[in-house]
Amino acid sequence: MATESTHSNAVSRRDFLRGGVRVAGMTGAGLLAGVLTHKAGATTHVWQIDPAKCVRCGLCATECVLEQSAVKCVHSHDICGYCELCTGYFEPQPNALNTGAENQLCPTAAIIRKFIEDPYYEYVIDEDLCIGCGKCVEGCNRFGNGSLYLQVRQDRCVNCNECSIARVCAGDAFRRVPVDHAYLLKTKPH
Amino acid sequence: MKHDDSSNRLTRRRFLLRGAATGAATAALAQLREARAAGVGAANPFAYSVSEFEVTDPALLKYREVRRFEVPGPEARRLTLLPGGSLLVAAGRRFVEMTAEGSTVREIAVNGAARCAAVAGDGTVYAGVQDHVEVFSAKGERLATWQTPGKRSWISGLAVGENEVFAADSGARLIWRHDRSGKATGRIGERDAARNVPGFVLPSPFLDVELAEDGLLRVNNPGRHRVEFYTPAGSLEFAWGEAGMAIDRFSGCCNPCNLALLGNGTVITCEKGLPRVKLHGTHGEFEGVVAGTESFPENAKTGAGDGPGTTNRASLDAVADATGRIHILDTVTRRVHVMEPKQPT
Repeated sequence: MATESTHSNAVSRRDFLRGGVRVAGMTGAGLLAGVLTHKAGATTHVWQIDPAKCVRCGLCATECVLEQSAVKCVHSHDICGYCELCTGYFEPQPNALNTGAENQLCPTAAIIRKFIEDPYYEYVIDEDLCIGCGKCVEGCNRFGNGSLYLQVRQDRCVNCNECSIARVCAGDAFRRVPVDHAYLLKTKPH
Repeated sequence: MKHDDSSNRLTRRRFLLRGAATGAATAALAQLREARAAGVGAANPFAYSVSEFEVTDPALLKYREVRRFEVPGPEARRLTLLPGGSLLVAAGRRFVEMTAEGSTVREIAVNGAARCAAVAGDGTVYAGVQDHVEVFSAKGERLATWQTPGKRSWISGLAVGENEVFAADSGARLIWRHDRSGKATGRIGERDAARNVPGFVLPSPFLDVELAEDGLLRVNNPGRHRVEFYTPAGSLEFAWGEAGMAIDRFSGCCNPCNLALLGNGTVITCEKGLPRVKLHGTHGEFEGVVAGTESFPENAKTGAGDGPGTTNRASLDAVADATGRIHILDTVTRRVHVMEPKQPT
């Protein structure tokens, strides 16, 4: 009996392998379910900035987990006045209304100014240079129509579960939006 | 077929510009790293500051505030003076007559958003209401309604002469000339190279018109940062004004936003963004400040946007009475600031 009992408790190589496969299978299935759940979450909602709440605090530039923030300035050309003296482009007291670096407000020269016809100019954002500091946004909102504003660019954002900018946003402007409406676009001045 | 590859060619200018942009980006990223190291509580390294222009040199202040009062109801936009010395304020969908001390005398309801008004010597009130003009007798009885000929009219300023009414239309970007019966008799200020008229540049709907005793119209051209002088026939006589935050210039993208006149022809200019009211001689010489930005802190905080809880663009408007006092309307706070000259005029 003693010999038989010892035999029934002993773990054979076959049982060991069978148990191992079962545990591995269950762990894999759990991991797969977790990944799928996470993926499903990521594709249903993403982070975005409500332009009406943004206070241009500068934290979008400094708090993103990416080396260069996923937040970029975007430009609503429908709202823009195409001003010769664009307060989003020029320093408050520029030496001259030209593209000289000393006259530009943007710390990375990320706004391209193009002459259209007297006295109208078009302003386009170079997103590779834009760091999302919002300095131009403040200039445009303070004096102009507010056509420049900040948005999270979804092609750059890694969609962290807890967005590190949202955690500290001074205007409480970050919110989750459905992925099929991933941008909160401005359609009227201010 | 000739292929133009000039857009891809790296010229010396493009090389220098790209170099400057790369240098600026490198410096900004270094600044960014410093800011990240400093943490969330640190001051915004990218702050947009115009604080040096928000303080007025006391020596330039030619007026002092003697009183202020609030306009009842929402959305106060413009004000004008009635022959008896009381004020007529365009607010909401009505015009409110108020004494110079701030008591409400009566209200005149109109069929749309009340934008502006002008009052003839006989007391007839011409009221700018969104896209048309409503005419009232001195007693407030409705006499007529004119539709301006423009398709996208937005009446933002009015002036009345002996036989004519001039309506500043921000939507059509011109001044309509009407006779007193409402018949349109001319268009003033449209771009016309042959007559050397540059056209109005209006990034936002702030076109104003004033008629002076010399018979010339004073019209602001905000996008060009100047005041232009037209004959009633539409000839541009002269213009003055320069862009800049400095006190003797017009700030932001588009100022002055509204005009008024003193009896001696001095032009009172109102600005938004950096809310301030200043005096300029007929030929543009800067004469002093009526009220600086520090007098309108809520307005300055709002910038050029909508006032809190309204769809009203933040701005200032002014009107002078026969004694030389200037009444300033702050559209954000709906307060009228009554300013008196420090030196008798």
